[in-house]
Amino acid sequence: MIVLQCPWCGPRNVAEFYSLGEVVDRPDPSTATRAAWRSYLYLRSNPAGQVHERWFHRAGCRRYFDAERDTRDNTVFSTSPLGQEETGTGAQS
Amino acid sequence: MSGYSAGALVRQGLRSTPEWERAWASHDLRDRYEVVIIGGGLHGLATAYYLASRHGITDVAVLDKGYLGSGGSGRNTAIARSNYLTPEGVAFYDRSLKLYENLAAELNYNIMFSQRGHLTLAHSDASLRTMRWRAEVNKVQGVDSEVIDPAEIKKLAPALDVSDEPRYPVLGALYHPPGGIIRHDAVVWGYARGSDRYGVHLHQGTEVVGIDTEHGKVTGVQTSRGRISTGTVVNCTAGWSTLINDMVGVRTPIVTAPLQAAVTEPVKPFLDPVVVSGTLHVYVSQTARGELVFGASVDPFAQYSMRGSLEFIEGLAGHVLELMPGLSKMRVLRQWAGLCDMTPDYSPIMGPTEVEGFHVDIGWGTYGFKAGPVAGEQMALLIADGKPPALIEPFGLDRFLAGELVGEKGAASVGH
Amino acid sequence: MTSPGETNRLARVPGEVIDRERPVRFTFNGTSYRGYHGDTIASALAASGVRVFNRSFKYHRPRGLMTAGWVDPGLMMQVGDDPNVRGGHRLVAEGLDVHSQDAWPSLKYDVKAVNGRIGRFLAPGFYYKTFIKPQRLWPAYEAVLKRFVHAGSVDLSTPHRQVDKTYAHPDVLVAGGGPAGMRAALAATEAGARVLLVEEDHELGGHWRWSGPGQLDELEQLRRQVAEAADLEVLVDSVVIGRYDGNWVGVVVRSADGAERLVKVRAKSLVVAPGLIERPYVFADNDLPGVVLGTAVRRLVNLYAVRPGERAVVFTANAHGDACVDDLHRAGVEVAEVVDGRTGATVVRANGRRGELASVELSDGRTVPADLLVVSAGWTAPTSLVNMAGDRPVYDPQAARFFPSSLPDDVLVTGGLAGDGSVSELLEHAARTGQEAARRAGLVARGWATGMPTRPDDAQPLPGDTQPVEVPPLPRSPHPELFRSTTHGFVDFSEDVTSKDLFVAVAEGYDSSELAKRYTTATMGPLQGKLETINAVAVIAEAKGATVADTGTTVWRPPYAPTTLGALAGRSLEPVRYSPMHEWHVAHGARPLVAGAWIRPEHYGDPAAEVRAVREAVGIIDVTPIGKLDLRGPDVPRLLELLYVNKWKQLAEGKVRYGVMCAEDGVVLDDGVTGRLGPDHYLMSTTSNGAAVVWEWVESWLQTSHPEWQVHCVPVTTSYASINCAGPRSRELLSRLTDLDLDPESFGYMNVRTATVAGVPDVVVWRIGFTGELSYELHVPAGYGQHVWDALMSAGAGLGVRPFGIEAQRILRLEKGHLIVGQDTDGLTQAYSAGLDWAVKLDKPDFVGATELRWQREDGPATQLVALQPLDRDVVPPEASQIVSASGQILGRITSSRHSPTLGRGICLGQLRADLATPDSVVRVLQPDGRIIEARLCEHLAHVDAEGVRARA
Repeated sequence: MIVLQCPWCGPRNVAEFYSLGEVVDRPDPSTATRAAWRSYLYLRSNPAGQVHERWFHRAGCRRYFDAERDTRDNTVFSTSPLGQEETGTGAQS
Repeated sequence: MSGYSAGALVRQGLRSTPEWERAWASHDLRDRYEVVIIGGGLHGLATAYYLASRHGITDVAVLDKGYLGSGGSGRNTAIARSNYLTPEGVAFYDRSLKLYENLAAELNYNIMFSQRGHLTLAHSDASLRTMRWRAEVNKVQGVDSEVIDPAEIKKLAPALDVSDEPRYPVLGALYHPPGGIIRHDAVVWGYARGSDRYGVHLHQGTEVVGIDTEHGKVTGVQTSRGRISTGTVVNCTAGWSTLINDMVGVRTPIVTAPLQAAVTEPVKPFLDPVVVSGTLHVYVSQTARGELVFGASVDPFAQYSMRGSLEFIEGLAGHVLELMPGLSKMRVLRQWAGLCDMTPDYSPIMGPTEVEGFHVDIGWGTYGFKAGPVAGEQMALLIADGKPPALIEPFGLDRFLAGELVGEKGAASVGH
Repeated sequence: MTSPGETNRLARVPGEVIDRERPVRFTFNGTSYRGYHGDTIASALAASGVRVFNRSFKYHRPRGLMTAGWVDPGLMMQVGDDPNVRGGHRLVAEGLDVHSQDAWPSLKYDVKAVNGRIGRFLAPGFYYKTFIKPQRLWPAYEAVLKRFVHAGSVDLSTPHRQVDKTYAHPDVLVAGGGPAGMRAALAATEAGARVLLVEEDHELGGHWRWSGPGQLDELEQLRRQVAEAADLEVLVDSVVIGRYDGNWVGVVVRSADGAERLVKVRAKSLVVAPGLIERPYVFADNDLPGVVLGTAVRRLVNLYAVRPGERAVVFTANAHGDACVDDLHRAGVEVAEVVDGRTGATVVRANGRRGELASVELSDGRTVPADLLVVSAGWTAPTSLVNMAGDRPVYDPQAARFFPSSLPDDVLVTGGLAGDGSVSELLEHAARTGQEAARRAGLVARGWATGMPTRPDDAQPLPGDTQPVEVPPLPRSPHPELFRSTTHGFVDFSEDVTSKDLFVAVAEGYDSSELAKRYTTATMGPLQGKLETINAVAVIAEAKGATVADTGTTVWRPPYAPTTLGALAGRSLEPVRYSPMHEWHVAHGARPLVAGAWIRPEHYGDPAAEVRAVREAVGIIDVTPIGKLDLRGPDVPRLLELLYVNKWKQLAEGKVRYGVMCAEDGVVLDDGVTGRLGPDHYLMSTTSNGAAVVWEWVESWLQTSHPEWQVHCVPVTTSYASINCAGPRSRELLSRLTDLDLDPESFGYMNVRTATVAGVPDVVVWRIGFTGELSYELHVPAGYGQHVWDALMSAGAGLGVRPFGIEAQRILRLEKGHLIVGQDTDGLTQAYSAGLDWAVKLDKPDFVGATELRWQREDGPATQLVALQPLDRDVVPPEASQIVSASGQILGRITSSRHSPTLGRGICLGQLRADLATPDSVVRVLQPDGRIIEARLCEHLAHVDAEGVRARA
């Protein structure tokens, strides 16, 4: 059970959170081609290493936030509120 | 070649030191092969076996960074079934089941396929409805499947609590008599031994570090033991398929996450069929050795870690005792995890890619073991014919950008 | 019946753990035995002269005790309804009913022991090589094999006593309460840490407990310090089962009767100090009862005052083995021969008589008569926990065992796992490790605290880095590499795997540790390699002609000790939701229906009558589980425009509208109505199953895409009790309970009002009609739900009111052709396939799902929601019946199907290939019973009142 540092609530067990997966840029829906839109919907980088991903503190403050995590060993490098640079340190592997 | 049989066992047993032939040889890495298969698991070995045995293509190398079957092939819970939801899924897995049924004889290797029947429990109206849907699609395609009521379930699996006491009472089940369990390692070893007999080279401890292309065509594979020239590469990996695809720039919708499993200490046999509950996210079978083998759904976030978690066995135990409250004194002996490459529609990705000569047999989620034989057979056919056979046409990588997903998602929250 | 006497019990020995004042009687295989409080099952039986405890897994060979501790392959017992109990650990208790596992018909005459004689034919991979043909006979073979399963039995009537789990948050967790663990724990507390010390045995002390009188005083002193230390919690008869990411550690606490509970520990740092496990030695017939490890002698003599035999041969390669010789002398055992493995001498074979040891063959050719062979040939390092922390242990040939190599910062090791050294060196290492563990725990705590956003700016500064405590490496004692003698013998006693089997496996090509292990099942049994891993690796290495270091060990998996499902499950914490009117439903004969988290009334006995009441008079249904979100703020209309496929900007106050949400892929996500209660105040409803999903959906779009929008979203599902009052007389009924103007001119269809109903203010009333009837949905403050329900029932008595359940509602909505998301649609159904063309407004600037829906409209949907009616009025095809072509190809399916009481015929909804969805055409429907029926496609989805006159009445 890894610890995630919620930018609003502090360190909590990961069981309190819901993962939305890696952050993917959303193309402009009115101009996107089918290929571009479906790349957004489906294609993923799925790195074995550091990933920029989104989490939801479902059993806490119910805020969405971003995290940098290593998918190989679950080291959390940082977490940050949406639209901001990192403020918290993961501090836990 | 020295075959396996009861007679051979007696002959070898009479020797002071038995002298069985090696199951497979080890070879020096050649600097070129006609076909290079990445991944020495069930899919890679089956592909090699069918290439050699059905199409006479024997200049084949199978590469694995670890030992044969060290990935998902040796970590799954060894369940086979064909009661899928979509016509294309049913046809595909039904073919696999048929191949499994004859595999021991074909490979001269007992894979211990035990067709004890497979029960998928429904605990809600909605899941009962999905079971009925699956049963009807199955029946139309000639697959033995039916929805049965709690009294019939109790007869098949007396350990199950089918009363209305549990939080999620059992309302019915999809019963699939041909489903069952197989000794997974035996399938890997049987295919390995079989393809070795045809001259396929199996290279363990050989990691792929790069794939060479020229003008959009595969020209070779870089490995930890040297370079191989080849025009045909098949990615038969699970868990690490993205890393192989990255070597040629093929993008996929795969997200990798661990699927955990656990086994208990053995007890005397009391459970015959395989029991699955989607609502409770658990599946259970009892091996011929008496151990209960458990699995659940994939972990809730992407990982390449296979260390497993405490919450997995906690949740699992809770759900098992919901189904079979009498087992509280059984002990979990071991837990482990394997990596699953999940796709958005719970269906695999099979076929050619935009890179000429680079084929994929990936994205197997939690279904790879069930599909091993048919995946190997069809990938071999693809390579031999140069075009995707009908059975795997629905599973091409291009379906995602075309928006033509396969509809297995409905049945698949936990579908073992 | 007289019971065997304790013929092997010694006079009192210093340090014994039995209480001679408290004798205990128990039975073993039906015979009554005596032991003392503090005895294990094994020690009590050994004291009474029992030598054979079980039969082995494959060959059914008689097996005795080997370690007399938890890790003993011969001591798996059935105790009452508890299978696979460790007889070397479980304490005897009055009346305990102990049985051998697998000795049929008796321990002495095991019929299956014939397997032992044909063992030479049971080669590794035996099963893979036989029973191949004919395939159809494998089930029969398997049925026979299953009868040979070697294990205890589970009693299916065993109740699951739900034991609560607890949590612990120590700074330092010390796994292992031997001298090193105790010292490390003390040092960590002295450095200011709160410490949890966990010991697997029944008391602290580790091997010092049985190391003879010399060590006892020192042990007492350590124990006293531990007892007196502040902030040091001790758990004995408890075991660390696993170390997971984030130093999340599972600890199982056992009670005397074997019941277990789970403690989940967030350890800031973890000290692993499990000591060492003595390993067996591989030689011919090394499994004969009477062949024991030194550990067994030391435990039996010093803890339980048991004489382990009459005449002994001791094979020793270390000080521990040498000490056994002294123990044997003190216990009055004749030591016939000491074979010193350090000189190159060894034992080559154990000879048996009537299944027990009779003599020992030595490497110098002599055969020494003995009933006890004590083997102390080296150690296995239990590296499980460090392995789980990512470490890959490395083999040291000088010390002949594995050592941890690269640990994460929050895991430290001490004691035998770290090295040997003198007692003082060991204690010093442990102390420094404890101090360093405390320091590292502080660093972790600091990392957490600095990330705390709530920490005030003027808070006390956190402690800075202190210098790391220097922990000099513990010296390693040289030890001969003694794994196998010149003969072959058992490597894995639980699985009956011999060194010869491993040689054969390697020769066949299964030549890595993992392959050979899988092929032979060595280390796969109940001990999971704790005794045998290193021997297996060494034999594989020998067979390959490789070194142990190059061959490498296998990966250890949690749990370290097998753990009961009961402890892991703990108490079930699945929440159940009931509406405020639940008790009323139960009292009025409602049949309960599990609907997600909710228990709802399916019907009250006669769903058809309930339908008729709604169509002809009035009915009320409890719809509390409908999801409800209270939305406030000036930007709510923009939110609705974004999330629904239809238009919302023009929704006036007092109006409600039906809306459909799609996901980004155009797939129908949820539907419901939303009403505008005030200028900036809306109430959104969702499906019951969608309540949580939609709440998150709304929050996600607000937070991630439009944080600038001013919208407050509050879930109010359970704040309201919701009652739908439906039927032609619903207006009349409601009018009896409210002053609200119900005139259709002033309160028309798809309008919302807030009113006082039955004296309850602030009831939200919306006029909608899922049933297709004139109906009013009341959202009543939850505390008044029952009151309003009662008022409706009594006010409606003369109007023919009756409660109706989910089943009647399903029939009513099907008659009306209203789809249910998730039933008439599935995970890939886009809006145009759900008959929702009328709702989708592609001319809106942007809404979620628009992109894909635009393309779906361009391409045309592949499938289409249709209404069908069987040509034969009396036929109601079961849901999931398939719509098939003449050649049997699947064209679609029935998604909803009921007998309509209103029409007196079967009615259906279905998904059908869009190119075939022509009204009035007839399709073939294949029912589950195999019969094919015909059904006609209807013009409208609604079977009843397609024009919507009734709802607008």
